[in-house]
Amino acid sequence: MSDIALPVRRPSSFARLFEAYGQEIVVLAAIVVLFAIVGLVNPRFLSDTNLTSIFSGNAYIAVAAIGMAMVIISGHIDVSVGSLIGVLATIAGTLAVSGYPIWVAWLVPVLVGIAINTCLGALIAYMRIPSIVATLGMLSILKGGLISATGGTWITGMPPGFFIAQARLFGIPSPVYFMVVLTILVALWMRYSATGRSIYAVGGNAEAARASGLNPERTCVLVFALHGFFAGIAALLFATQLQVIQSTVPPNLELTVITAAVIGGVSILGGTGTVIGSTLAAILFACIGSALIFLNVSAYWLRAVLGLLILATVLADMARRRRGLSP
Amino acid sequence: MSAAWKNLLLRHETILGVLLVITLIVLAFQSDRFFTADNLLNQGRLMAEVGLVALAMTFVIVTGGIDLSVGSILGLVAILLGVFWQKLGLPLPLAMMLGIVVGGVAGLVNGLIITRFGVPPLIATLATLALYRGLAEGISQARSVRGYPDWFFMLGQGEFLGVPVQLWIFGLCAVIAAVILGLSTFGRATYAIGSNAVAARFSGLSVDRSLLLIYTASGLIAGLAAVIFVSRVSTTRSDMGTGLELDVITAVVLGGTSIFGGRGTIIGTLLGLGLMQALKNGLALAGVKGDGTIVVIGAVLIGTILISNIFRKDADG
Amino acid sequence: MIRKTLFAAAALAAMAGSAFAASAWTGGDDLPTNPLACDGTAGAAAAKPYDGGEPTGAPDRKGKKITVVDVPKLIGIGYFNATSKGIADAAKELGNVDAKTDGPTQANIDQQITFIDNYITSGVDGILFAANDPVAIAPVLKKALSKGINVVGYDANSQPDARQWFVNQAEFNGIAKAMVDNLAKEIGEEGAFAIVTSTFTTPNQARWIAEMAAYAEKCHPKMKWLETVEAQEDNVLSFNQATTLINKYGDELKGIFGMTSVATPASAEAVTQANKCGTIAVVGLATPNAMKPYVEKDCVKSVVLWNPVDLGYAAMQVLRAVADGDLKPGATSVKAGKLGELQVINGSEILLGAPFVFSKENIGQFDF
Repeated sequence: MSDIALPVRRPSSFARLFEAYGQEIVVLAAIVVLFAIVGLVNPRFLSDTNLTSIFSGNAYIAVAAIGMAMVIISGHIDVSVGSLIGVLATIAGTLAVSGYPIWVAWLVPVLVGIAINTCLGALIAYMRIPSIVATLGMLSILKGGLISATGGTWITGMPPGFFIAQARLFGIPSPVYFMVVLTILVALWMRYSATGRSIYAVGGNAEAARASGLNPERTCVLVFALHGFFAGIAALLFATQLQVIQSTVPPNLELTVITAAVIGGVSILGGTGTVIGSTLAAILFACIGSALIFLNVSAYWLRAVLGLLILATVLADMARRRRGLSP
Repeated sequence: MSAAWKNLLLRHETILGVLLVITLIVLAFQSDRFFTADNLLNQGRLMAEVGLVALAMTFVIVTGGIDLSVGSILGLVAILLGVFWQKLGLPLPLAMMLGIVVGGVAGLVNGLIITRFGVPPLIATLATLALYRGLAEGISQARSVRGYPDWFFMLGQGEFLGVPVQLWIFGLCAVIAAVILGLSTFGRATYAIGSNAVAARFSGLSVDRSLLLIYTASGLIAGLAAVIFVSRVSTTRSDMGTGLELDVITAVVLGGTSIFGGRGTIIGTLLGLGLMQALKNGLALAGVKGDGTIVVIGAVLIGTILISNIFRKDADG
Repeated sequence: MIRKTLFAAAALAAMAGSAFAASAWTGGDDLPTNPLACDGTAGAAAAKPYDGGEPTGAPDRKGKKITVVDVPKLIGIGYFNATSKGIADAAKELGNVDAKTDGPTQANIDQQITFIDNYITSGVDGILFAANDPVAIAPVLKKALSKGINVVGYDANSQPDARQWFVNQAEFNGIAKAMVDNLAKEIGEEGAFAIVTSTFTTPNQARWIAEMAAYAEKCHPKMKWLETVEAQEDNVLSFNQATTLINKYGDELKGIFGMTSVATPASAEAVTQANKCGTIAVVGLATPNAMKPYVEKDCVKSVVLWNPVDLGYAAMQVLRAVADGDLKPGATSVKAGKLGELQVINGSEILLGAPFVFSKENIGQFDF
């Protein structure tokens, strides 16, 4: 999917391409290598059923990472996204079993996600609260509030039409379409529209951006509102995958989403990176998770191996950037 | 009122101190079991590990960095303490020392990744968060180590002059940390790095060496906290310290340390810790459930920083 | 330098890791196992003297109103909602108990200890607990006993001397036998299977897996264990892990054990979505409501569980009996309200009953 945005000026020069999309290419290469190795060891890894389940089972992480990538590119961070997805999924399920029309059950969580994160964005932009502090507080509020409200009762018995993530088109599950289409749209928007480019400008240097006539505060609120939208979509994909909604906060989801965005080449200092990278990184993670089981890595060592792979990706990226800097 | 007085009054620490006193008074009226020496000392015991790690975290955040891997280091050291002692047969005091050293090495690795490779601290420690926890799980094979000798529990469960032993350790470390950060050249260098690393480098400070020291200290302290924690709960498990980093960062930030670096004090961190623990304990005694307490702490975090920002804007203008 | 350090760390880790002897199946613990006889004849249980603790200086609470706090492993999951309901039901029925449930939002030993410590300070009369770790929780429970508080455990035990009684939902080897026998019945004596558990450090799950391994070796030696995967208490992760297992082993995989009330329905969902109903059997611990869709569709034939509402109810009844002085060390049984007489086993444990196997015929009668 990365080649949609690639044919920019002078596609003949690979060096130029590598310079512009270095991390995306590294991550893509890692995915390809992983497929080749694991496919050799156990060909079932490459079966269409396994590929579909890797992609569709983890698409919600990629969708949430799109919003997270935008937030980080604009120079902020959000550690509350996991809790937000838990809350929105619960809202969707509750509405669906309470007899509201299905489109309401789909629409309301997305709107609530936008509303909550717009407030969060305003708090960060206009009240000057650092984003990590505001979202750390929001994490507690959403998590505690959700348990207070639901007590963690499972939601079951949603009407059959509710399960949007189980739908298929041409044999491919719907979450894959969400992931691909949203990634491409956002990548194009961020590259070619004035508003999209302003996110990079604000994240790179807010004061310079202000001097050139942009409004960093408004951009911040907009980015968080969009992030809320993507969290809403992610929550829908998350909630409609299975027959049961747990109505709790998925453990460590925010770490997975942030790591995906960062490994995809989004600089934590803001101003650079693409959502193509974050989506590829989310896919890479999903592949690694599945591959480690296929390769019979001892389950006890699984997380250590995952940590090493993350570290290796980060160091490779840093080494690449250094080479880029020196003449 | 003179400008100096106004400045002092509007400092984040002053605001936080007032807030803490109000909280203590309100909570004391909610439950007569809250403001007793017994309970307060006990709360000190419960927060010692978070407190210790928060001291080092204050330095880390003042330099403009962050260390997300402290909870995982705690887990790793706890497991190694058990492994060194029970599986490798080392004497327990040696195992404790070695465990703390491993914590320091883990911190040093963080520092090296950050300084030598230029990886932003958030990402570097996000990666080692997974790595160290993974090592703890792999090494322990998910088994616990139990059956420590009785003298070992002195550290986490005993008392000295009526005060929990770990509170003495914590107090000592807090004083040392406050002196280093507030009065020494190293402390001034720490602030300089956080305010402007490039300028600090040009003015002749060895930024990398300071950062290495600070991250190593963060690992060492997490190791020390691990030993105290194992002694307090009398067993080791590979999932110890999960989520510790969020508590620690909340306390430090609540204490007025700027996440962008360059500003923050140990006193502030202590006040932040006190406020957080008082809320957790006092609300529980007042009959608020755990999920409600989490909501309150989140709201207090945002609210405090908000109030502090508004006041500071007044002071500036 | 980094490389050297990492290398040294890896070498050290490998050395230390190999120091532990691996149990038969990944995810089991290394405590001694005690598999039941294959044909189900009960082993002769040796009578054991009372080994629980005693509160010091407890006031006479007979017939008086008492306040009780229930601190489960974590709040916000279906299983402990059910036990909490049972506790509330029993408190209402007794009429002289003021009970509430409070606890950490994650199964975290440190937070659970803090909760119990705070409730000791607040001056409750009784504490009910389900331990995240049997040893870690012991000091704080002993502190409660020393303040004259009555302490009773359920679901997950602590060291015996740190509490008075423990209400045992079903013995580990009994659960293990029910699980393995039911799967063997469905997939045959030579079938291969995998396990989906929460985490390897969860004591109950580790105990069950170890007992299952011992029982399978003794009574179904040709069944083939493939592997165990971790899936936290997260249903989407459980679903993904189970799906990966199905994809990895293809036709070789004949059965999946779900070790938690989250993993079992998610595994059943994975089998359903892979269109493998009837070719891959799912047997596991689960609550009936979550399993009804799969049992009714014949995708899952047997679900093993005790009734968690009854478990909470029994725990509350036992605590009241202890506070009233009706249940004393050395007793052989205790009256537990509508559940009737419950037997004392292993010195200081009260057995709820044999594990219950839900099937298509009876699952409709349960609602929890």
